[in-house]
Amino acid sequence: MTGLQLVNGLASLLIVTSLLVIEARGTTLSAIYYALQSFVLVLVFLALAATVDAPQLFIWAGIALVTKVVLVPLIMYRTLGGISDPALTPRRLGLAWTIILAAAVVAVCFGVVSTIHLPGSSALKPALAVSLAHFFLGLACIVMQRNLLKQVFGYCLMENGSHLTLALMANRAPELVEIGVVTDAIFAVVIMAIIGTMIRSRLQTLDVRQLTSLRG
Amino acid sequence: MTSSVLLILLLLVPLIGMAIAFAAPLLGAKQGPLFAESAHILSISLLALLALTLAATVLADGPVFAFGSWLYLDPLAAIPVALIGVVGLLTGVYSLGYIRHDLASGVISAGKLCRYYGFFNLFLFTMLCTVTANDIVMMWVGIEATTLGSVFLVGFYGQRASLEAAWKYVIICTVGVAFGLYGTMLVYAEASAVLPNPGDASLWTSLIRHAASFDPGVMRLSFVFVLIGFGTKAGIFPMHAWLPDAHSEAPSPVSALLSGVLVNCALFVLLRYSAITTAATGPGLPHTLFLVLGVLSVAAGSLLIFVQNDFKRLLAYSTTENVGLMLVGFGIGGQLGIAAAILQMINHSFTKTLLFCGSGNVLMKYGTRDLRTIKGLTAIAPATGLMLIAGALALCGIPPFSIFVSEFMLVTAGLRAGYGWLMVICLLLLTVTLAALLRFIGGSLLGSRPEGVPPGEVGGLEVVPMMALLALVLVFGIAVPRPVARLVESATSVVLETDRTSAVVYAPWQSPARPALGGHNVIRAADGG
Repeated sequence: MTGLQLVNGLASLLIVTSLLVIEARGTTLSAIYYALQSFVLVLVFLALAATVDAPQLFIWAGIALVTKVVLVPLIMYRTLGGISDPALTPRRLGLAWTIILAAAVVAVCFGVVSTIHLPGSSALKPALAVSLAHFFLGLACIVMQRNLLKQVFGYCLMENGSHLTLALMANRAPELVEIGVVTDAIFAVVIMAIIGTMIRSRLQTLDVRQLTSLRG
Repeated sequence: MTSSVLLILLLLVPLIGMAIAFAAPLLGAKQGPLFAESAHILSISLLALLALTLAATVLADGPVFAFGSWLYLDPLAAIPVALIGVVGLLTGVYSLGYIRHDLASGVISAGKLCRYYGFFNLFLFTMLCTVTANDIVMMWVGIEATTLGSVFLVGFYGQRASLEAAWKYVIICTVGVAFGLYGTMLVYAEASAVLPNPGDASLWTSLIRHAASFDPGVMRLSFVFVLIGFGTKAGIFPMHAWLPDAHSEAPSPVSALLSGVLVNCALFVLLRYSAITTAATGPGLPHTLFLVLGVLSVAAGSLLIFVQNDFKRLLAYSTTENVGLMLVGFGIGGQLGIAAAILQMINHSFTKTLLFCGSGNVLMKYGTRDLRTIKGLTAIAPATGLMLIAGALALCGIPPFSIFVSEFMLVTAGLRAGYGWLMVICLLLLTVTLAALLRFIGGSLLGSRPEGVPPGEVGGLEVVPMMALLALVLVFGIAVPRPVARLVESATSVVLETDRTSAVVYAPWQSPARPALGGHNVIRAADGG
């Protein structure tokens, strides 16, 4: 297996782990699956660093290991792990439909990526398509889930997708840029977790359909 | 002191102000708030001074770089920087009275008062980071940081509605702005492949010089992503859903910052990308998208203003409408169209800040934002009432207030460029806004004094900043100050990538200014641009 095949193969695993995050019941399990997914992302960075001769990606992998495999899941577990809304069962399309939706998103993203001329190695287009699909799966999770916590995980998935795109397309950007992007992402998760907790404590629910006092 | 040092200080000052305000509760419930307020006043005063000094420096001597090429201040960036300085100062002073009122009413604690000033300064810092960044990825980081820095201000009161607004704000804006990151990455990847020195591929000053060599397909795709991403933050229809909620639920001085400054920062980033995309693909796609989204925003804003009973939501939808007008100006293009849109940014910023500050006074007097309950303000608090009447008339685009000048320029640009039908549509939609605002003046500001509302102004700290804002609205409406006109014309040249500037920014009854000296917008190669 060549390095590029390894990168593309590992990237595909991200889709599987995404489905686990979306389908998992409970914050703790979602956080564990998210940590697993982030670990796969770290492996992609390492494989990519060796394959395309981008030593900066080793640093990216280290940062992602600390922040996404450990820090973000820990924050999610500590701040949101204890809260739940018994009245709110996660909105589930059913595993089969979720897989079909994911497959459709991946197919569309492959189609889009294959039709446009993109700078860089065309051999990485499958990984690029997967990263784009990952982004839109996260978006779908935010739009379709009515559990506020699932929306936070949806954002995490979107962020992992764009992080992979960044690694594929902008891996020679200065480290400060990578640090800026990751810092923003972590703060976003922390802030969403804090506001989610505040909403749960005031409204006694995690159902986004209850957030309807502002209209018009 | 060199200009580069001033530029670094510009970022450091609010950061230090923020740190002191956050640390102030350690001094106790009595000393803490005083300390936080003092640090806040010092910070916003210094910031305004630095911002205006830097704007004057850019006008006189050309662009300023700092931290190598990472920070960059040209005439285009100098406008939002100056607005952050001036509006930050006036809303910051207004905050003193407004937040003290909340403290006295028991709505907030002393610790929360300190946190307010901490977040206020953080918000100013993040906006400054966005507009002074030369690196396009850091520009994105800055825009994302503005959401994260201001979300606790939106949810400041911790009530059901404010938490709901904060949640929608953070979700919609972070998701929207994530699209902007894709656009940014596409531009970076393309530039890395084209630029002789790939290390400069993220610097806007390098991108604009080599943009003509970029692949048009990639640049078109990136512009669509960027428009969705940063357009969400600018409150462009249909990505505007967060805006009325956040603007109405935030404390009034923060609403003024969100509406009068933040949307300008996002539009500023769009202008940067529009310049690169136009150089790579021609003006077709950016101009068409600007025109379509602009007219849609004007239409949605105008019609939704008409059905509002909530004072602050009415003002928020007016922001969407005004952003739409600015986009129409960008879409018309040419020197007059772009200059009109940039001048509209400035005029809208002052006018909307005046009105949001007024809404704060109304809230303190009546305890509600419901226009069906607010009656006879001029009889209760004449100064606030009269200034709100002036602000509402200014928002309608009536002379001699400043928005008339920029809207007159905009319509002239549209007619000259052959968009007569589009101008007719915009003017018809503006009459809907006029009707809604006249109804607001007649129904809530004029009329007899209601029972149960004690007469008198809320306080000097809340009235004086409004007077300063009204003075600015009038001064800019009677005659656009020459330095401002020259700065707007120079900023227009940056967007159009030309060194030729001609005098286009002046009121219909004002004589044109002498053209600005050429060459100020040239990006100096020696500076690593």
